[in-house]
Amino acid sequence: MLQVCLSLFLCSGPSPAQGDCLAIRVGRAETISKGTLEHAVILVEDGKITAIGEDLPIERGVPVLDRPDWVVTPGLVNCRSRAGMDGNAARSFDPEQRASGELYPRQDVWQDLLDAGVTTLGLYPPGSGIPGQAVAVRPRGATAGEMIVEDGVYLQIYIGANPSLKKMLTDAFGKLDEYDEKVKKAREKWDKEQEQKKSKVKSKGKSETEEKKEGQQEEKKEGGEGQAQQEDKKDEGKKDDAKKADSAEAFVPPEPDPKVKPFVDLRDKRLPALMSINKAADYLHLLDAIDKREFLWSLHVPLRDDVDLYEVADKLGEKKVSVVLTPLVTLQPNTRRERNLPAELARAGAKVVLVPRGDGVAEHERWMFDVGRLVAAGLDRQAALAAVTLEAARVLGLEERLGSLDPGKDANLILWSGDPFEPQSRIQAVMLEGKIVSGEVGR
Amino acid sequence: MVSPLREVRRGLGLLALGLGSCRAPLATEPLRAAPPGTPPEDAGIAIRCGKLLTLDPEARIFDPGMLLLRDGKIAYVGKPIEVPGGYRIVDRPESWAWPGLVDLHSHVQSAGWWDTNDMVKPLNPEFRVRAALDPGEERLRVADAAGVTTLFGIPGSGTSISGFGVLYKTKRDAPYERMILRDPGGMKVAFNYNPQRGGGDLGSTWCGLSWNLENLNDRAANLARREGPADPALENLERVHRKELPVLIHCASAEGVAGSVRMWKDRYDTVCVVSHGDWDGHFAARFMAERGVPLNHGPRLMNFTTLRREEKILGTSKAFVDEGVPNFSLNTDAPVIPEEEFFLQGSMSARLGADPYQMLQALTIHPADSFMIGERVGSLEVGKDADVVLSSGDPLDPRSRVELVFIDGEIQYSRCDDGQVF
Amino acid sequence: MRMERTAWAGLLSLAWVSAGRAAWALPQEEQGGGEQAEGGGEGEPAEEDENGEERWFAIVGGDVYTGLGGALRGATLLARNGRILEIGRDLLLPEGTEVLDATGMRVYPGLVALDATSRISGGAFGPSLEEEEAEEGIDVHHEAEAGVQEALRALGAAQQETKDEIEDTFDPFSQYLVLALATGITTAEQQNVAVKLKRGEIEGILVCDKFQTSVVWSLSNPSSIKGAREKFAKASEYLRRYRAFEALPEKEKKEQKEPSKKGVDPGFLGILEGKTLARFNASAREELIGIARLAQEYHFRPVISGCQEGWTVAEELGRAGAYAVITPRDRNPKDESLVRPGGTSIENAAILWKSGVQVAIKPSSTAFDLGGITGRDLLALTVEAGFGVRGGLSEEAALQSITLVPARILGCDHRVGTLEVGKDLDAIVTDGDLLHYETFVQYAVVEGKLVYDKEKEIFFAHIRPRPKKPEPPATPETGVEPETDEGEGAGQEETSQDEKGEEGGS
Repeated sequence: MLQVCLSLFLCSGPSPAQGDCLAIRVGRAETISKGTLEHAVILVEDGKITAIGEDLPIERGVPVLDRPDWVVTPGLVNCRSRAGMDGNAARSFDPEQRASGELYPRQDVWQDLLDAGVTTLGLYPPGSGIPGQAVAVRPRGATAGEMIVEDGVYLQIYIGANPSLKKMLTDAFGKLDEYDEKVKKAREKWDKEQEQKKSKVKSKGKSETEEKKEGQQEEKKEGGEGQAQQEDKKDEGKKDDAKKADSAEAFVPPEPDPKVKPFVDLRDKRLPALMSINKAADYLHLLDAIDKREFLWSLHVPLRDDVDLYEVADKLGEKKVSVVLTPLVTLQPNTRRERNLPAELARAGAKVVLVPRGDGVAEHERWMFDVGRLVAAGLDRQAALAAVTLEAARVLGLEERLGSLDPGKDANLILWSGDPFEPQSRIQAVMLEGKIVSGEVGR
Repeated sequence: MVSPLREVRRGLGLLALGLGSCRAPLATEPLRAAPPGTPPEDAGIAIRCGKLLTLDPEARIFDPGMLLLRDGKIAYVGKPIEVPGGYRIVDRPESWAWPGLVDLHSHVQSAGWWDTNDMVKPLNPEFRVRAALDPGEERLRVADAAGVTTLFGIPGSGTSISGFGVLYKTKRDAPYERMILRDPGGMKVAFNYNPQRGGGDLGSTWCGLSWNLENLNDRAANLARREGPADPALENLERVHRKELPVLIHCASAEGVAGSVRMWKDRYDTVCVVSHGDWDGHFAARFMAERGVPLNHGPRLMNFTTLRREEKILGTSKAFVDEGVPNFSLNTDAPVIPEEEFFLQGSMSARLGADPYQMLQALTIHPADSFMIGERVGSLEVGKDADVVLSSGDPLDPRSRVELVFIDGEIQYSRCDDGQVF
Repeated sequence: MRMERTAWAGLLSLAWVSAGRAAWALPQEEQGGGEQAEGGGEGEPAEEDENGEERWFAIVGGDVYTGLGGALRGATLLARNGRILEIGRDLLLPEGTEVLDATGMRVYPGLVALDATSRISGGAFGPSLEEEEAEEGIDVHHEAEAGVQEALRALGAAQQETKDEIEDTFDPFSQYLVLALATGITTAEQQNVAVKLKRGEIEGILVCDKFQTSVVWSLSNPSSIKGAREKFAKASEYLRRYRAFEALPEKEKKEQKEPSKKGVDPGFLGILEGKTLARFNASAREELIGIARLAQEYHFRPVISGCQEGWTVAEELGRAGAYAVITPRDRNPKDESLVRPGGTSIENAAILWKSGVQVAIKPSSTAFDLGGITGRDLLALTVEAGFGVRGGLSEEAALQSITLVPARILGCDHRVGTLEVGKDLDAIVTDGDLLHYETFVQYAVVEGKLVYDKEKEIFFAHIRPRPKKPEPPATPETGVEPETDEGEGAGQEETSQDEKGEEGGS
């Protein structure tokens, strides 16, 4: 699969010797989006992947990292972790809280995670109920601001066959409805005021055309807030009218209570949710609590033996839900029969995401090993790779920016000495946004 | 609605009410054994019944059937015949007749556990339950009303050799001597589990317990080969090693069962019966079967575990019987299961897959044979004790009522007269 | 004799059914038959056609024990959207009907379990029985020596909560739910409300809620008796005033104030208004007499759990129209210091029934015991009913004691408890007499959906497995169609139509 030699047009800025530009030639690349690429060449500049293809020609002068035995994958994305965080939660309904508040950059753990190949983390807030919003970080930076890739990436919600949790969610939506009512009333009031203003202007003797235009304005009022304002400014040329026009503003809806705002964002699909459940019944209760409300959400199920999630695998597959799971083969309740739930869900059509079995560095180091065992037990290999890269990025809302080897995306890469699922393979180097941050790669 | 067969039986029952019911004048119904000095015309009792389950080696069943009881023994069993003169007739053509039930593992002979579970030393071979036997114990009355006629009353399982139990009959108003079938009836050993809780001061682990048992029994076995008791304390223990008395071994789980068999059959070659064998004991069933060691099973009859990939609710009675364990019998470990629900152990075993007739054997002739009282009780055969139960139907069906209970040829319980006790 | 009467009733019903066909069917069926005689139509009139909203289910060919006495041999139950539409023979089944073949087996109403372990609707498989009993939570029927007032107060709150709670905690994938279905239980009392054991669904599980008011009446706590009397008196007074108020002409009503509900316990008011049943937990003879007389004084029907000495005062209880929830194998000796009869009796159920008391039966343990001891837990519900028969209860009464009577107590007998047209199709198919100790539930159906198949679950499939059905003969030998799936092939339907056409007159 040859690509057009875009390489000729790359690296035209700073001199190659400065290291902002790099070409990597390896035996194999797992692109995630387009499958496995043999004899892959990846071009990196200014922190982004600029090109990727099979046997791409490389412009003279561009430094080349040539490792024909190595395998490149995107950096690992752990979309739900408490690594490097040690906060405690007091209450259980804090949707406006953000985990980013806990970030402490000066810890060894971040480098350890980079060494383990983790280039993006979704850190969620502590607590139960609806404890707040997660933050997506890169494990590198002198300040919290430097670490944050994006804040408020999802709202963490715990839900299940539990009346108080269900009530918490339905009450929160109830408050959202109340806010909407309030906005609606405010809007109506504003509309009335606008009308009154116009009628005052009218009483000063306007031309028929103005009246006509007012009529149009009134019709257009439904269309947009700014339009009425502009129409006013245009038509009322007189000073008094101009004054009045200046004082007329666009409709500004009242500010929602800070605890309601996340739900406004949820409803407006600016903020997705991550719903954590424990068993199949919890999923039915989740649907019951959500009822007809539409918003973006993914599912999270910590796996352990006796989880009966297979009972709703079809439902999850139908809806193509993203499901965050632990990489474990579990036992069917009351039996010794093994169930590979990630594989079953993937086959049913759900988007499987896998996270390490714990928050410690050791768990991150053995993450790929655990995922590899699922592959051995029947999980589709590509699905497994996507589960720790692109699909995880999707949960964080960052699938456009990272998670696969595609031009335009962040250059977050891991260079493996072999197949990432082979226990003998080692991480040779890790690249974060174009810079080698772990491992030694002599030119 | 009942099945057609039972309907027919009920129909007949309706007809027969006039003949043999409690409401009709009881010209033919004896109420109690004749007091002393009764004229010789009361030669015995003739029972005319419906379905007669003999539980004999040929598994004969007569329908209708007849029994002649004389001097406390069965004089005739079989098809109805002309009743000889002088016999009082008990006419119950709608009732089933079966042998009194034999429970080899019961603790209801006295008011409480503490009377029979003394934990004096780790081994108590001198311990004899007969001192604690209370003929007036209320629970015996109820057991009798449910057809349980022979019991092996034993001490608890706190120590490795708990003591020697008493084989007795659930006769009411009978003095001690008339109740006893054999005393000592047999030895009770608790091989594992309970003694591991620390009964006594020596040996609370398996190894310790096993050493205790072997140490003592080696001495007894040697003594048994000599004349006369060299050690009075071991008098009965020697009889065990001479195969004059049987041993009932409480144990559980497969390793307990196997260990018991190794000790009491392989090492000491006694007449032994393994008791309980609960939980996964059925995995040692073949081991038992190969050595011809019988099992007295219960109170647990079901195993549900994933430990060995069983993944189903297993009826352990069937599991043992299928492996060929000889003389498979059931128990209640009363009061864990109330003694009067002894028959239900058979019902529930059958429910979980065992053959109902084999379970009836497990309540009657098998326990008797395995514990050296098969000559006396356990089936309705000529020459055996007249322990007969009459009921309204299948003895394993909870819906059947026990109507009459005879022990040694005397009525011990009559539903019409005593009221339905159970 | 009771037995004779029911036997004759059974014979008569059999005769009646066999004389004509589908005596229970709605008129629609005859229309259907008529259409078919004309030209082989689809079955039912057009609106019944499958448009995604009609769901048909039929249990075919079994001996149906409706629970009202008698049996219909080889009959069919047809349900639409979970409700029984017809019961009879040779029913015409609409296209797309899901059919359960019960030939050679019996069909009974689904069993109703009172006070069932809450693990049925949500609990992982755990260890011992004792732990289960400890975790039953607020045991509202327990007569506490101390803290009765707290219990009552908590009850008021609990009753409000539990209704919502069970709907929000129901786990339809619970393994205990499967065990309940395996026992034949299709409706269970969970946290004081009746719940349908709908596997895999959480909608519509409540059958009837808040139908009971717990009343504490205990000899060991005399203030409880005084308290109960006072509450009844207050509620009765209020009701009297209220009814008088209602009877006033409009003008006067406006002038006067409505009588105040202050101090009136709503639960007790509900009892007097007939909205709730009063639930007592009492066993001593004196308590039972007191309850019976209280009930007659205030005209309500008490539900009495325990009722161990009920047999000594059966007539009084019968006069009070009482419901008794008993365990036939309860064993409590009589108090020897008293001369009068007492203690438990195996004949309790039978004696109560004969005096007109509605008897419901529950086992001594209402949890599932998988530790090894069998025959005393909820898995042995039918065995417990069998012990009722041992004590003299009739077979029909024994069946009702685990179906219709508990349904009445839970206030859901308009939907379950018997197999009748209009009620839910909650049924179990067994391989024999339900109360026989070897009988197992083969299938369980809840609201016209098959939710349990013994062969497909891990628990009992290995015990006396169902024999494979013999292949039906290729060609009918005597013109009598074998019992195969109806409504599945146009050809088959047509043949049966012809036969119906012939038999139509008889």
